[in-house]
Amino acid sequence: MLTDLYTRRALIFAFANRDFATRYRSSILGWSWSLIQPLATLVIFAAVFSLVFRIKAPELGNGGGSSYAAFLFTGLVTWNLFSGLLTLSMTQLKSSGELLKKVQFPAWAPVLGASIVQMIQVLLELGVLVIMFLFLRNISWTWSLALPILVGMALFAQGVGLVLSIINARFGDVMYIVAVVLGALYFLTPVLYPISMVDGQNELLSWVVKLNPVSWYVEGMHDAMYSLVAPPALVVVGLLIGGFLTFWAGFAIFNRWSEDIGEML
Amino acid sequence: MTIQRAGTSLAVDIQQVGKRFKRHTDRRNSIKERLVRGRARKPEDFWAVRDVSLQIPKGSVYGLIGHNGSGKSTLLKMIGGIYRPTEGSIATDGRVAALIELGAGFHPDMTGRENINLNGSILGLPRKDIQAVTEEIIEFSGLGDFINDPVKHYSSGMYVRLGFSVAVHMKPDVLVVDEVLAVGDEEFQRKCFDHLYALRRSGRTIIVVSHGLGQLEALCDEIAWLEHGELQTAGAPTETIAAYLKRVNSDEAARNPQIGAVRDDVGDPRAGDQSIRVRSAKIVDLDGQPMGHAETGTTFQISLEITARESVLGPNVRIALQHESGPLVTMVSNHRVGTDFGIVEGEFTIDVALVGNPLLPGRYRVHVDVFDFSGSKLLDSWNDAVEFPVRSQSGEIGQGFVQLPVEFRLS
Repeated sequence: MLTDLYTRRALIFAFANRDFATRYRSSILGWSWSLIQPLATLVIFAAVFSLVFRIKAPELGNGGGSSYAAFLFTGLVTWNLFSGLLTLSMTQLKSSGELLKKVQFPAWAPVLGASIVQMIQVLLELGVLVIMFLFLRNISWTWSLALPILVGMALFAQGVGLVLSIINARFGDVMYIVAVVLGALYFLTPVLYPISMVDGQNELLSWVVKLNPVSWYVEGMHDAMYSLVAPPALVVVGLLIGGFLTFWAGFAIFNRWSEDIGEML
Repeated sequence: MTIQRAGTSLAVDIQQVGKRFKRHTDRRNSIKERLVRGRARKPEDFWAVRDVSLQIPKGSVYGLIGHNGSGKSTLLKMIGGIYRPTEGSIATDGRVAALIELGAGFHPDMTGRENINLNGSILGLPRKDIQAVTEEIIEFSGLGDFINDPVKHYSSGMYVRLGFSVAVHMKPDVLVVDEVLAVGDEEFQRKCFDHLYALRRSGRTIIVVSHGLGQLEALCDEIAWLEHGELQTAGAPTETIAAYLKRVNSDEAARNPQIGAVRDDVGDPRAGDQSIRVRSAKIVDLDGQPMGHAETGTTFQISLEITARESVLGPNVRIALQHESGPLVTMVSNHRVGTDFGIVEGEFTIDVALVGNPLLPGRYRVHVDVFDFSGSKLLDSWNDAVEFPVRSQSGEIGQGFVQLPVEFRLS
């Protein structure tokens, strides 16, 4: 089943190419937007949450104090990967609807193609994050662990996204429900605050944050990139395998439910 | 996989295929509606295609005809893999490309060239092969430099030309074409047909749906006729089309029994001394049954009910047939063929039989004039007495108004 992904890779890349080529085509600044947007968010959030709410970021891994902006951006990059893949995937089937009604091709191809473009976007953000840490001289071999963690995050998000996309093709309101849930999840993930802040708070809240799978990936990234502590190898492998299993299950469900996609849309 | 039928290998083997759609007259698409109102009442099922079996030989051009809503497009979509059959099976040998709509996969913001790549990938062609045919596609479409402009700036003609060029150059083993043959101008259409013939010569199979019966008759090796999702008949193009047209004609006659083929006198003032008056004119068959239309090659009659107020000696009834576009086709009268009615009085009927109806398809108007025995005195003149259509059972069979009894000999 997964070998289909390989045999039709040209199609996935053709859709990726389409989305890549048309994403910022009619804008003057073009791809610069893909950096301006997250950086603007970063500046606003950093200002609001460190100056107004006075959230303290933990110590940097190099022992040279703390940087809320760097801490926040580490979490944001991870979160953007998750929520970006999820939202984009969800709307892909609907926007490719006319095509799916007229030509036979695997319905997951436009979904995965769009995701590739989103991943490139996140890679750009990751580049900025790396520059930030280089500037802060917060460097260690633990950085290399970010890769499997991010791959796990992408696979996890894609697995969930595939299932949501097929449900959304049937029930148009899923999109709106997910928007609300994502909004809540954002605050239930330690992106804006260190996870230590929920300790000793409301028991339920603390549990929700800790059981939220996205938190695990974000925490992994905080450890590897910001605190420069290697998470246990088992955790890294677990995050990767967990992501892969989610993707595999999502892909299987998608294939099963999308057999009649041509008449569903 | 090779499928066999009496020695020829099949490109597509359709076995007892059916497709059922649920009719969502009250479709509950949102979760809220489902929760609040429960599941929709059991939707009525509707079979778009039922129990259709067709064997389509490799390298043939196969046509599908039928009314709108007869299931042709549904069947095409199943062959193209867009729909799954509810029952039965469809086996295809090789890669199928379905042209349900030209340029369906084009992205408006991308250039023609970029769209060729995208569309090729969607149709399942490896990148290498796409690059190999790109120049050919551009050449065929005749777009020239426009190929590097975004397709949103194309005219609709340019758009479909590119769409057609892409699809036919993707070298599918089976090309499925839905009503898209009428694209572009005369010259481009000829190019399309030439290309389809070339595809057939190279052993590829073409399945085509069209309402252009003449086009299909010329292009196809076999034609299948679908009606209400069921296969009526399949086989040689001429016979299938004839059977289809016969049904269309009889359906129309049944729906509109009166279509201009009967006309009664409304008592309006007419030329002539009115010692004789034609009361009604109608088109009937040899048994006197009224007909909605006449058929080329089949004898029919123009039946005139006439009343003579006084006894009239040997009247000459003259009928003029005028084509809808204006020209007078012919005039016939009983004197000219040597028929004398003797003395007539009271009410009687004169039937004029057009033996082996030589009129070609079209609409014809009948003018009736009645003269006395000398032919010099006009007794009644009814212009536009009746109007009737002529149809043909075998599609278009020529141009003009009449078919002449000709023979060709080679010596």
